Amino acid sequence: MIANGLRVIIRGVVELDSDFIREVRTESQDVSVGFDPTLPAPKPERGSLHPLTRVTRELEDLFTSMGYLVLDGPEVETDWHNFEALNIPADHPARDTQDTFRCDPQGRLVLRTHTSPVQVRAMQRLAPPFRAIVPGKVFRQEAVDASHEHTFHQMEGLAVGEGLSVGHLIGAMKTLLRGIFGREIEIRLRPGYFPFVEPGFELDARCPFCEAGCSVCKRSTWIELLPCGMVHPNVLRAGGIDPERWTGFAFGLGLSRLVMLRYRIDDIRLLLGGDLRFLEPFP
Amino acid sequence: MRLSYRWLGRHVDLSGISAEEAARELTLSTAEVESLERFAPQLERVVVGRVVERAKHPDADKLSVCRVDLGRGEPLSIVCGAPNVAAGQKVAVATQGTELPGGLVIKRSKIRGVESQGMICSERELLLSEEHSGIWVLPEDAPAGEPVASALGLEDWVIEVDNKSITHRPDLWGHRGFAAELAAIFRRDLGVLRAEIPSPGRGEPIPVRIESEACPRYMALAIEGVRAQKSPEWLRMLLLAAGQRPIDLLVDLSNFVMLDLGQPNHLFDRARISPEGIVVRQARPGESLRTLDGELRRLEPADLLIGSGDGPVALAGVMGGEASRVEPGTRSLVLEVATFHPATVRRTSARLGLRTESSARFEKSLDPTLPARAAAHFLALLRELQGEARLAAPASDAGTWKDPSHTLRLRGSRVRSLLGVDLADGEIASILERLRFGVERREGELAVRVPSERATKDITIEQDLVEEVGRIWRYSNVPERAMVAALAPPPRDERRALVRAMEDRLSGAARFHQCVSYSFVEDGLLAKLGELDAPHVQVVNPVAEGFSRIRRSVVPSLLALLEPNRRLRAEVRLYEIGKGYLPRGPGEEPLEVHELALALAAPAGDAAARFDAGAFPRLQGVIEELVRTLELEPVRWRAPAPGELPSWAHPGHSVVGSFGDASEIGAVLARLEPGLERALGLAGELRSDVALARISIDALLAAPHRPLLHRPLPRFPLVKVDVALALPEATPAAEALAAVERAGKGLVDSAELFDLYRGESLGPGRKSLAWHVVLRSDERTLGEEDVQRFLGRLEREAASLGGELRRE
Repeated sequence: MIANGLRVIIRGVVELDSDFIREVRTESQDVSVGFDPTLPAPKPERGSLHPLTRVTRELEDLFTSMGYLVLDGPEVETDWHNFEALNIPADHPARDTQDTFRCDPQGRLVLRTHTSPVQVRAMQRLAPPFRAIVPGKVFRQEAVDASHEHTFHQMEGLAVGEGLSVGHLIGAMKTLLRGIFGREIEIRLRPGYFPFVEPGFELDARCPFCEAGCSVCKRSTWIELLPCGMVHPNVLRAGGIDPERWTGFAFGLGLSRLVMLRYRIDDIRLLLGGDLRFLEPFP
Repeated sequence: MRLSYRWLGRHVDLSGISAEEAARELTLSTAEVESLERFAPQLERVVVGRVVERAKHPDADKLSVCRVDLGRGEPLSIVCGAPNVAAGQKVAVATQGTELPGGLVIKRSKIRGVESQGMICSERELLLSEEHSGIWVLPEDAPAGEPVASALGLEDWVIEVDNKSITHRPDLWGHRGFAAELAAIFRRDLGVLRAEIPSPGRGEPIPVRIESEACPRYMALAIEGVRAQKSPEWLRMLLLAAGQRPIDLLVDLSNFVMLDLGQPNHLFDRARISPEGIVVRQARPGESLRTLDGELRRLEPADLLIGSGDGPVALAGVMGGEASRVEPGTRSLVLEVATFHPATVRRTSARLGLRTESSARFEKSLDPTLPARAAAHFLALLRELQGEARLAAPASDAGTWKDPSHTLRLRGSRVRSLLGVDLADGEIASILERLRFGVERREGELAVRVPSERATKDITIEQDLVEEVGRIWRYSNVPERAMVAALAPPPRDERRALVRAMEDRLSGAARFHQCVSYSFVEDGLLAKLGELDAPHVQVVNPVAEGFSRIRRSVVPSLLALLEPNRRLRAEVRLYEIGKGYLPRGPGEEPLEVHELALALAAPAGDAAARFDAGAFPRLQGVIEELVRTLELEPVRWRAPAPGELPSWAHPGHSVVGSFGDASEIGAVLARLEPGLERALGLAGELRSDVALARISIDALLAAPHRPLLHRPLPRFPLVKVDVALALPEATPAAEALAAVERAGKGLVDSAELFDLYRGESLGPGRKSLAWHVVLRSDERTLGEEDVQRFLGRLEREAASLGGELRRE
């Protein structure tokens, strides 16, 4: 394709000013003989940046430009931060869906099952109003296959302020999607149950890859993108914040899933597998 | 949870609302519908036929030849093997070209010489039950020629709801709960449930004693005059649509009531229950029970059980016992309808790995007022279908339960501010009333009465009511809003800035590949490293044997990647910035180690290679350049003291480094320990020259800055001199460099080592270090005499080191 284009351009030049061309030819005969513009050029050797890093950076840049902090939290987490403080007491059925790795028989320490515990750590450390995102590794005790991993990445978002509402959450999520996909994406909120938000939602985005249904959206034209909601007053209290004065919203973005969508990666195990053939193409 | 659209229609008028519409609206207002499928589409493909005549097959004793009228044209001739086929019956016929479940397509065929133009189906062939001893006989009034589904009124849709989206809603574990949602969404009336327990016989109630707090309510009803019977078509089909296999009228009704109202219940054969009645109690040590699934279950004192006589007859809320189950000969029942403590049921079912429809519901905190309605519902349905059944005695109703309904204060202003919408108090009240909340308007706020089925756990605070309003009013009606906040840049995040700068350098100019690895490190690798006994954070429930330990450092993760990647590439350059964990006391949060790990593996070098061509000096160069570009003081390298090296480091070829005046080791750089090469599979063709490093991010953060400053360009010409020093083997290069600088008396601008030579001409135990030296003065032009004076001084410096300046 490119070579064809070149040929057309060159032919055009010859027709327009053939005298000039002839002149150039006589002067530099030795370099133009055997000149082949299609000869492959050497590829400069370079390193690579992990696709998770690439996407995380984009999101960090987007959110920090809106005054969000980027926070970090421990992967080995206390049961209190991972569950109790998030309004998931012992014997809560929601613990079933988390498939938790426990680090001691009493379960006082766990591998965090979500980045949400950093919500409470943030509230304990920062005075409202504040906004923060938390990218990081999370763990679920489950069987591994092309679409399930016991270790994957999430990004938590949290905003606490006076008078924050579902409307602000919708605004923040639409901005996030504009940042990710570079254009306006239709969204819808529907009820979703997560103990640490009330009300809680599932956010669906109009499938950015099709108009009439495709394999990514399972023919529904909607992609279930992220859980979100207004921070539960019990969680604000656990973080030492007065829920009568302050409200907040939170969301959890599946970073690994987003990376897979972005680069059309069909096997989640590649992400943490360390295979150079997978890593090298990401500059 | 599977819902039948037709079943929902028993509670709310769905005329004009398609299954698709109902499913979509439920998703937007209530719970996630995962799929919507036609129920038993095979019933739409088979048609009702009337057997006009049954004749014996001329050539086979067990076959008959039937003439079957399909309502139009000539009756078909069908060969049938079922013993129960008879003239006058209505039957389900698969005609030529019909595809049955399993893929069988009906063709015109000859069976033992007689032509057969279709097939009369059994229930099993239509996936309705396991029944295959005869054909499925349809009701007499079914119109011949019509598809069976419409003829019998069985057309239905299966709405599959994601269970995760209803874990907080005990009221949605039955069809009526969803019907109530549809009634609220579409502004229709929810049908009235007949809930009176019919007048009992004059027998003695079944004695019930509750000995545990884990059972707030236990109702037991003695029912007599029952018998085994197949359930009617409507009941069987609804159960099938909801994913429940029909068994027998009594069991089917028990399941029906659970799937209808969400209240699990259990039937005992009364003959197997002690006349002394029922005790609800914790299990005693050593007790066991054979459950309905035939398994012998060992019980623990934490388990709640239903006892009768000496032993248990059921595991409360989980599963009944085999010995007291309803049998075909059962004539008298005990119906149990109870409320059990959610966590107790949950723990028992989790411990035994026995998740049942019943336990799933009890662990959601069921409404304690529901058992009475469920019992009445069961009795009403039973008497409708088996007229001779009756309550033998007044119902027993034990327990200290209380009606959980309560009143919550709801401020209209709170609804408006949390949702971000302008919604009048009147509208808020009307939405809540549609959801069957009681609403009383007061000064500036509403007093909202939460009905018992929503009051056990789901609706307990004001925000819960805001959600109720929001989901029915629809979140799509909430306008998007921009956040308003004071403009101020967030504080500079030094750690993140440092990590990013490192990534850019390493993935860029240094040509390293970034990986992100699992935090788990395999036992096999740790064993090779001799670190299996080092304290690790360890999970008690690993995904696989040998994958329980969390890494203490990032380096082992890279070690595991060397061999597979060396198979693919001659040179492997990897780095990872991640975390390791060092355990402290039991239950105490471990110490987190944030580090950069680097690995460089190249094919094992040849002896003639330049002194700085090996993996170790190259990696050292990468690190030093990284530190320079991060604008930090250079690493202070030194030889390791005993015990300072990690297990992967070559004891004779390693350095440790620190930053600024910190005494802690912030960096380790080493060749791979020689024994590990083979253990890691880097032998034979994969024999490698491997260098590894780890650098503490915290040490880098604490390292003193060396800000990048412009240096004036030279005003006078620079003078370049190449010098070679022959020195004893033991003299470090650093001492040679210091000697060069001293000899320059401030004129040495730079000195770059370009050759390291050992050879016979030098004599044994000696080496030659050759340098490109650049002399610079900012005051005058340097001349030949400056060079000679420099060389003269260097000659004396070399001699003081026991060596000499080599002259060509």
